[in-house]
Amino acid sequence: MTSPLSSTSAEVGSSAADDAGVLPGSVGLGEPAGRTGPHRLSGRVVARAVGRRLAAAVAVLLGAATTAFVALQLLPGDPVAIILGPSTMASPQVRAQIRDDLGLDEPVVLQYLHYLGRLLHGDLGWSYQLQQPVSDLIGDQLMPTVQLALAALTVAVVLAVVSAVATAGRHRALRAVASFWELVSVSTPPFWLGILLLTALSFKVRVFPVAGAQGFSALVLPALTLGLPVAGILGQVLREGLETALEQPFITTARARGLSQTAIRARHALRHATVGLVTLSGWLAGTLLGGAVLVEKVFSRPGIGALTLQAVSSRDMPVVMGVVMLSALVFVTISTVVDLLYLLIDPRLRAD
Amino acid sequence: MRLARPARLTLITTATVATLALSACGSSSGSDGGTAAGAAPKAGGTVTYALDVEPTCFDLQVNPQGITADIERGVVDSLVTVDAKGAFHPWLATSWKVAPDLKSYTFTLRDGVRFTDGTPFDAAAVKANFDRIADPKTKSQYAATLLGPYSSTEVIDPHTVKVSFTKAFAPFLQGASTPSLGFYSPKSLTRGPDALCAGGSSIIGTGPFVFTSYTKGQSVTLTKNPAYNWAPQQSTHTGAAYLDKVVFRFLTEDPVRTGAVTSGQVDIATSIAPSDIRTVEADKNLSIRKLQDPGGSYAIYLNTTRGATADVKVRQAIQLGTNLDQIIKTVYFGQYQRSWSPLTPSTPAYDASLENSLKFDPTKAGKLLDEAGWTGRDAQGYRTKNGKRLTVDWPWNPPHTREQRAVVAQGIQADLKKIGIEVSHPALDIGAFVALAGTGQYDLYDFSWTQSDPDILRGFFNSASTPATGGQNAANLKDPQVDEWTEAGAATLDKAKRTELYAKVQRQVVLTDAAVLPVYVPTKLVVVSDKVSGLTVDPNGKPLLYDLHRA
Repeated sequence: MTSPLSSTSAEVGSSAADDAGVLPGSVGLGEPAGRTGPHRLSGRVVARAVGRRLAAAVAVLLGAATTAFVALQLLPGDPVAIILGPSTMASPQVRAQIRDDLGLDEPVVLQYLHYLGRLLHGDLGWSYQLQQPVSDLIGDQLMPTVQLALAALTVAVVLAVVSAVATAGRHRALRAVASFWELVSVSTPPFWLGILLLTALSFKVRVFPVAGAQGFSALVLPALTLGLPVAGILGQVLREGLETALEQPFITTARARGLSQTAIRARHALRHATVGLVTLSGWLAGTLLGGAVLVEKVFSRPGIGALTLQAVSSRDMPVVMGVVMLSALVFVTISTVVDLLYLLIDPRLRAD
Repeated sequence: MRLARPARLTLITTATVATLALSACGSSSGSDGGTAAGAAPKAGGTVTYALDVEPTCFDLQVNPQGITADIERGVVDSLVTVDAKGAFHPWLATSWKVAPDLKSYTFTLRDGVRFTDGTPFDAAAVKANFDRIADPKTKSQYAATLLGPYSSTEVIDPHTVKVSFTKAFAPFLQGASTPSLGFYSPKSLTRGPDALCAGGSSIIGTGPFVFTSYTKGQSVTLTKNPAYNWAPQQSTHTGAAYLDKVVFRFLTEDPVRTGAVTSGQVDIATSIAPSDIRTVEADKNLSIRKLQDPGGSYAIYLNTTRGATADVKVRQAIQLGTNLDQIIKTVYFGQYQRSWSPLTPSTPAYDASLENSLKFDPTKAGKLLDEAGWTGRDAQGYRTKNGKRLTVDWPWNPPHTREQRAVVAQGIQADLKKIGIEVSHPALDIGAFVALAGTGQYDLYDFSWTQSDPDILRGFFNSASTPATGGQNAANLKDPQVDEWTEAGAATLDKAKRTELYAKVQRQVVLTDAAVLPVYVPTKLVVVSDKVSGLTVDPNGKPLLYDLHRA
């Protein structure tokens, strides 16, 4: 994932500081990557970045909506027969009524324009199977998934940072242990991991409830299941980054200043290695959304993943399209935030 | 470990609930979950019931899913009940008269029945419900078929109602005994389809339980209707239900359901995988109930109008060339029974004389294929005729294929290969699958069907019920005798006559027409903890929560 902003990241002089619109609360960065002087985060840079990003976001959303619509049109078979499924006793009258209600007799172009028109008004349509507005369904199911994703993210980041900081550049055996658990957690299917955790900690030893979304204890196992594979990947990337950073001259300088090993790792090397980590977060968001489908099923949690699974298996296209729009929005938001984070982490990127 | 503290707080609450449940069971070990002898059951308590499927919509009048009816059997009552022999008994109707031409049924309704919103249950309520089901705008996918050729409902007086049909319709009483033709409060019917579909307090019936809440992706809670006093006579008690609360939990993963019931986190779990039965058997606190679904067996329908299967000899060869006994025993760990008829044994008019009629006989199957002219062999060992390989198409759609049926198909494929038939078994997406199915472009087609009336044979084999017109005659059978018998069966209430007619249909389609290869009897393996007892299941296969209580 390369961002458009990072392409402007070539060597820059120290001119950013004398920009007219310096933010009063602009972030002064202490000890950046070493060579250049401190750059200030100027208002113009941020405004331009945000504006460009917003335009791109609209384009991405339009693309997602169009792709979803075209995919729906390309599905073979009669949409009404698809909605009803193979074992149905629905009468011809019922079929005609469904066709009429969904406006399937309209020309495709009109259907597309109507669809876009409704989207503009924030109307994601009406679920075929659940008979509810799609926006309400997504709205209701969003919180449990956000909770799960945040909990999993916390698990992943904490585990990755601890594992990487503790082992990077250390003894070979220690590193081997760390890469081993990372490899195992990355290669374990989350589905199976979930069943294993449930069997051990809910069926055999009753520490956690089997399923559901009642309170914190029901969140622990799902968050671990979703977070562990991500932690594995993040840990590997972070350690790699740390090890590269630890070989840099500024680390030697810091050591020469008498800083402790931990301070060097936590304050200097970790920051340097974070850029790679942040770049990965786009991929990470995808993992969490996709993983939520499996994890929510195994743990019988409500949420967007469970909704998606139900919609796909009951051929509920408006809900599927709603989820596509939501994922597009999540990706756009996250990559925007990531790009802004680059500016915060790496002063070299703050060129005008 | 700062995280541990909040976790433990919640844990204590969960543990307390579990201990209460445990202490409530006290000394009752050894009862097998049937009707407890001795002292009257204690009222009160909660039962947690794990289900394998979550309904997409809770409106019984629209939604065709069996699971919706399972959940709402405790919420809505029906006009009549049916017993295991197929005889009807009063429920919300105290008596009824059937017109000699079977075109109208007049019911006398029970006095003093109220919906849980206070609305009285009367003739107008019956009319409002049936009219809504029959209205094409309701888009009823299943309940409307139970009303068949419905024409109208007439309110004769508040306690008398006459339901009329445009032609003779014998299966009506059977339909009227199912939750799908149960009654919602006329007030709730005006709330709009989205409110009813969403479940929760919009679903208002007259039943022993009130639909209190629904949390999507998680659970449904029913609470006791204290005013309930109109249970059917077959129940073991009168008045309100024993339990205060029934919680249905949606645990869609098989191992999770098994784990939940073996660890005591739920009291009842349905649809346990046959492979998990040994784990459950090892647990002395659990009992296993095998519930055979009434209706259509899981069967393979052989297309009588297309390709090689248009020849009856090829169809017979397929019937005889598959070693189903072995396949079913292996795939389902001996838990499911092989089926011999398109109907399951728990369906009224099931013809038991068909049992063991299709013995595995590859030699005879080979001879039949020789007679049909498939005498050549190609390099792969498949039979050929005029240089063309003997191939049968059997498309399938993975999301709609349950219970390891794909593995059964592999077994059949391997057996038929031995007698020289190639089975092409492509996995298709739903759109492509439905397109092929609707136009009859297949040689084999498989399904099972839950509905407790032998009239389903009319849907399966009557020539007017082809898939192109939305029917289930997947074999595209056109047999004038089968047409005559299935139509005569729908036009009489005489049990002996119906039994005779439907027995003839079953024998004809299996033995003479070879239009169907019955595979196995769909069976629900329900695991019940010894902490609860009194769970019964009606002949429609629906769980009855009314007599259920904590042991």
